[in-house]
Amino acid sequence: MRLALVLAMTLLFAPRPVAAQPQPSPAEVARGRYIFGATGGCGCHTVPKQAANAGGRRYDGPFGTVYSTNITPDRQTGIGGWTDEQIVTAIRLGRRPNGERLVPVHPFTVFNGMAAEDLKALVAFLRTVTPVNRANQPKRITVPLFESVFLPAWLAAFAPRETPPAAAPTAGTARGEYLVRAVGHCGECHTPRTMTQATDNSRFLAGNAKGPEDSEVPNITPDPQTGLTWSEDEIAEYLATGNKPDGDVAGGLMGEVIEGTLAGYRDLTKADRIAIARYLKSIPAVRNKIGK
Amino acid sequence: MIRHGIVMISLIAVTAVGCATGSGSMKMGSGDIVADRQRLMKLNGASWADAQAKFKAGNIEGIAVNAETMALNSEHIPMLFPEGSLTEKSKAKPEIWQKRPEFESAAKNMGQWAARLRDTARTKDAAATEAIMKDYGRQACGTCHTPFRVPPPQQPQPPRS
Repeated sequence: MRLALVLAMTLLFAPRPVAAQPQPSPAEVARGRYIFGATGGCGCHTVPKQAANAGGRRYDGPFGTVYSTNITPDRQTGIGGWTDEQIVTAIRLGRRPNGERLVPVHPFTVFNGMAAEDLKALVAFLRTVTPVNRANQPKRITVPLFESVFLPAWLAAFAPRETPPAAAPTAGTARGEYLVRAVGHCGECHTPRTMTQATDNSRFLAGNAKGPEDSEVPNITPDPQTGLTWSEDEIAEYLATGNKPDGDVAGGLMGEVIEGTLAGYRDLTKADRIAIARYLKSIPAVRNKIGK
Repeated sequence: MIRHGIVMISLIAVTAVGCATGSGSMKMGSGDIVADRQRLMKLNGASWADAQAKFKAGNIEGIAVNAETMALNSEHIPMLFPEGSLTEKSKAKPEIWQKRPEFESAAKNMGQWAARLRDTARTKDAAATEAIMKDYGRQACGTCHTPFRVPPPQQPQPPRS
């Protein structure tokens, strides 16, 4: 009787192994790599010329300084010990497994618009990247009560949140919109921000005179005077090669996302690049001159 | 024989004029180093745009002259960015002077890509030339633009018909 009780208690309280997750198919990993490229190669998580996805890149904001995190599958310092669901939650809801909220330098309000199947594939791909043991650097928040009060209030009051589609659109302008708005997160740099630092989506993609790293980010609405007047083919060519119609070549952060890390915009299919171009041609033109 | 004579006389004349007007130091450029390097970069851009247009038109061999222009220009890039030449109108990033060996290596890399493009275009091999051109913008120009240049905002362009 006593033995049976001990056995029952042992079975009840024994540490449960994490349920083995089914191995993703090569097709799913390939799809994940494609989505990874369509985000620009998650380049924020890579210090240029260093190990992919190992984090450590510095970002300064009005709230302080944050460093991108290690998203390699290293169990000790990366996301190797996280479940698929925990990774997806961090990507689209901005929550760590311990409940800690991510600072929205990681654009989770936009990535929330990614389709579940694409997120699943993305996670499958992230698990195939070479693990790198590199400890995350702690953030330095200089604004009192930022994470406990201001950030939640800001997210609730000001941050626009994309809505995930039931399934990823596969063609046409809808596909372009999905790639631009959610996956490619183009608005994060190309949309001007309000005084609260939220993107001003009433002027979606109208350019940002004070973009990331103090750069002037161009207006890519189809406004004939101040926006993007390239043809669909020229836009598609630019996303693949970085070549502009006037012979100039992309640089800065745009150069980075085209080149990507393990993949980038340049790996998008021509059909997807044309879909992006068509969508950019279809959005409202906004007159907003960037630069002198 | 007469032709050789004319060439010799011309060379002697040029040398004599050079010696007579030379002040001991050779002055190159306009004296505005930022304007000079921006001209050189515009020339590179125009050469690259022309090379792409020639490729589309099937004029593979014609690309060689554009590539040679870019190869030659690449050798001048480091000297056009002397210490202390970061002015208001310059789009250079301070990293050019903070990471000088990397910057010079990027200029050299451009020269190597341009030379490879030139030599391949001369063979008239369209497929091999296309293979280089596919990556040329990102690998020859972008690897320098990304770390060392402040991206220009989109230039307003006239509406297209």
